[in-house]
Amino acid sequence: MSTIRPRSLPAYLLALPAGLWMFGAVVMPALLILWVSLWGGTAFGPGNPITLANYERFFANASYRGLIANTFLHTLMLMAITGVLGYGIAYFLVMKVRSRAWRTALFLAFIIPFWTSALIRAIAWVPFLGVNGVINQALMGLGITERPIEIFLYSRTGISMAQVSLYTLMASGPVVYMLAQIPPSLREAAMTLKAPPGVVFRRVIFPLTLPGVVIGQVLVFLSVMADFATVQWIGGNKIALLPNLILNFYEGAQLRAAAVVSVVLMACMLVGTFIAMRVVDIRKLGT
Amino acid sequence: MEYDLEIVALRKKYGGFTAVDDVSLRVGKGQFVCLLGPSGCGKTTTLRCVAGLEEPDEGDILIGGRNVTQDPPWERDIAMMFQDFALFPHMTVEKQVGFGLEMRKWPALKRDKRVAEVLKAFEIDRFANRKPGSLSGGQRQRVALARAMITEPRLLLLDEPIGALDYSLRETVMIELKTLQRRTGISFIWVTHDQNEAFSLGDLVVVMNHAKIEQQGTPEEILQRPRTPFVAGFVQGNNVFHGKVEDVRGAEARIGTASGSFVVPVLDLKPQPGQAASFSVRAERLRPAPPEGWPNRLATSCRTVEYFGSVRRYILERPDGEVMKLDQFGAEPAFLMAEGAAEIGWPTEAGVLHG
Repeated sequence: MSTIRPRSLPAYLLALPAGLWMFGAVVMPALLILWVSLWGGTAFGPGNPITLANYERFFANASYRGLIANTFLHTLMLMAITGVLGYGIAYFLVMKVRSRAWRTALFLAFIIPFWTSALIRAIAWVPFLGVNGVINQALMGLGITERPIEIFLYSRTGISMAQVSLYTLMASGPVVYMLAQIPPSLREAAMTLKAPPGVVFRRVIFPLTLPGVVIGQVLVFLSVMADFATVQWIGGNKIALLPNLILNFYEGAQLRAAAVVSVVLMACMLVGTFIAMRVVDIRKLGT
Repeated sequence: MEYDLEIVALRKKYGGFTAVDDVSLRVGKGQFVCLLGPSGCGKTTTLRCVAGLEEPDEGDILIGGRNVTQDPPWERDIAMMFQDFALFPHMTVEKQVGFGLEMRKWPALKRDKRVAEVLKAFEIDRFANRKPGSLSGGQRQRVALARAMITEPRLLLLDEPIGALDYSLRETVMIELKTLQRRTGISFIWVTHDQNEAFSLGDLVVVMNHAKIEQQGTPEEILQRPRTPFVAGFVQGNNVFHGKVEDVRGAEARIGTASGSFVVPVLDLKPQPGQAASFSVRAERLRPAPPEGWPNRLATSCRTVEYFGSVRRYILERPDGEVMKLDQFGAEPAFLMAEGAAEIGWPTEAGVLHG
């Protein structure tokens, strides 16, 4: 039990370093971006007038509006796939693998790839998906196809395949945690109350893991919405989602436009997170 | 004769470990049965086999005359109460208690009416809309019991159902449960390691050890006539002696032990000279300074005295180093001093030969 009372001076002092860091590394840059996105004129400096013209221009463009919708659709699809896969993996690991050693081994096999950076993992998919890549070689070797399939690399399919592998752990991890918290006696009690296994899952197991599912979905949502690297590397320059647009504008030295897209993207992510928090109170996790 | 439960030659192994070995048991209509034994003796595994939560390797389980050995838990006419109560944390008390009826597809109106009745009967109607997290141990116990009883099963299986309660609550809850069992006529199978629970509640007490049934009978039968040295030693207040039959004369046998040789009644047994044998004497039958006519006497030294109010218990050391207990009425003045030598003895009829 901590002897430091909430709202006392030591409590504030303890929060100070992290608070300063967050202010300098997150809050200030975000405010700066917001400010830049409102700049009028053409000069690069603090003397510009404040205007909404940049936003008006952005939203007047139908292809940009379509890009927002596209990004959302793509993210929702990824959430659905990683959600189902992740839950299945979590359920298998916690409920079906009886031996402790096997569970640890499988769990490690599952998470060790995640010790490398997301960028490296995204790039690593390129030789897999290419026309002469591992997948095509295997498919042809097995006689399933005669010619290499070209839709893997530089396509939405390829991006989705890579992202599913990158983000399933995020959907799965919180569910593993929640499932492991459920005492076995709850399932048994439900069964002795005449609930067959499907009903036990629907009425007892799933509702108790719901916070884990939602947290996993939020993590996947935020990651996929912001993931420009995978889209860039695997999509080549053929495919772009909202975060790639930021990069495009930035490389074209269109700072105002880059800031506008950044703010729009941040707003989208905030709205998504807010909706998720309405479904489940994260603070109740683990109680 | 119809039985609520018949267990026939049940056997259950986990790898090389035998958890239940050749257990057979019959439970008549509306009986209160207690499975009693130390932890790891197989009592809980037996109960879980009856519930269908474990699959036995051999043997049969019949509930109400129907063989259910291959049936899953949700197809058996049972309900179960778990040691940790196993309440669903996300359901209100009302929803929780109604769960069993919901699974049986009762229409909602009828179900709500029945749930309201049961909540009232178990005095938990005040908490109908609360979740288990905000209830006390005693209240949770009532919710768990109501949830199990509402479906009126043929058998209620209880796994250490009051073990998680405060000591002061246990006695009240025990009396309530016994009354409830009598009134409803549902057979209770109660697993416990606490002999007070077993002997005060059970119509039938089944003492288990090392995966086997050591002895089954009414509390009186087991307390007055333990059949094995384990049962005698497990039941409080017995002094157990191991030895060899030296001599049998009419209705009495002489048993030689490390602490001397003693005369015990043969009862309905047929001990043969030379055979290994054990017997026990209850602590309250021992007396200090035994009269001349008693053939069983023993020089001991008194180690400590424990005073329980109703009983004064002397912890004595036998010549072979083993410990013996002697109980005296608490209201009488103490007849032995701690740390003194004491000769004790008992009348022949106080000895109980095992077998």
